[in-house]
Amino acid sequence: MIRSLRAAALVATVLAFGALPQPALADGDVVCRGGPQDKWEPLASLRKKAWQEGWEVLKVQVEGDCYEVYARTEQGQAIEAFFHPVTLEKLVVFRRGREIFRKEGFSG
Amino acid sequence: MTERTPSSRSHGLAGTDTRRGWQSLRLAFWVLLAVPAWFMIRSFAQGETLAMDLLHPTGETALRLMVLAMLAGPLAEIFGFRGLLRPWLAVRRNLGVAAFGYAALHLAFYVIDMGAFGPMLDELTLPAIWTGWLSFIALLAAASISSNAMVRRLGRRWKPIQRIVYAAVLLGALHWWLLDRDYVPALIHLAPLLLAWCARFAMRARRSTSPEERPA
Repeated sequence: MIRSLRAAALVATVLAFGALPQPALADGDVVCRGGPQDKWEPLASLRKKAWQEGWEVLKVQVEGDCYEVYARTEQGQAIEAFFHPVTLEKLVVFRRGREIFRKEGFSG
Repeated sequence: MTERTPSSRSHGLAGTDTRRGWQSLRLAFWVLLAVPAWFMIRSFAQGETLAMDLLHPTGETALRLMVLAMLAGPLAEIFGFRGLLRPWLAVRRNLGVAAFGYAALHLAFYVIDMGAFGPMLDELTLPAIWTGWLSFIALLAAASISSNAMVRRLGRRWKPIQRIVYAAVLLGALHWWLLDRDYVPALIHLAPLLLAWCARFAMRARRSTSPEERPA
């Protein structure tokens, strides 16, 4: 019994380590339904949009089918905001993992 | 490097040489552990990477090292004190202190990224942030008693105090989960440890209920 338990533990450990280097499928990802990338607005427009919010932009990037902005608000809060890449609508904003804004009706 | 002796089996006259050999091996191990940190700091210093982009790599390295440090104990209990587990057990405090080093680097990049004390204080109440602070404080406490001198000085009391690393690793994983809005990456990293803990628990339970199976 102990032997089979040991074998099970060994197999489990090996499996666990095998799983380690693989990228995780993040189900925390936001889905914006951005459509094909050739229809997307340029990143410069996104930066301007974020600037109009009064934010200090640290970084903009493509995240899945969304535009994502890392920024500081006027109060100095570190935020992560997701924008629709075609309409440039602000869809959802997180502050250190906590949702602080969501566009009405948006469920992605 | 010529004085390095590969085996510690020979005692007596070779004792000092063996000890020096182990010391240089340990030093080489420290250098190895510091390599990723060197690349991270260099890329930040050269302006190639933002401080905020180094938060993830430093935090992840800290957690990985912590898992490696804490895995040797339960595995040795399950599989016996042999093979790779001997050197692994011998370096687990080094791994743990290195984990603290990466956590400290993580905190340094956080402070650089935030740039001011006010906003840091302001977000301290967010669960994703205070779990990180608590994890760091627990690691700091564990690292501060991880020198040979402190292990000797604390004697029997060392082990119960050192158990604070359990809080550190669990809070660290929770910190990651909350920030990512996703438990999967943190859970995958914690998985080997959780499995080893379960196996150790099962073995202990079995041993205490069936004494006839206890190894002689």
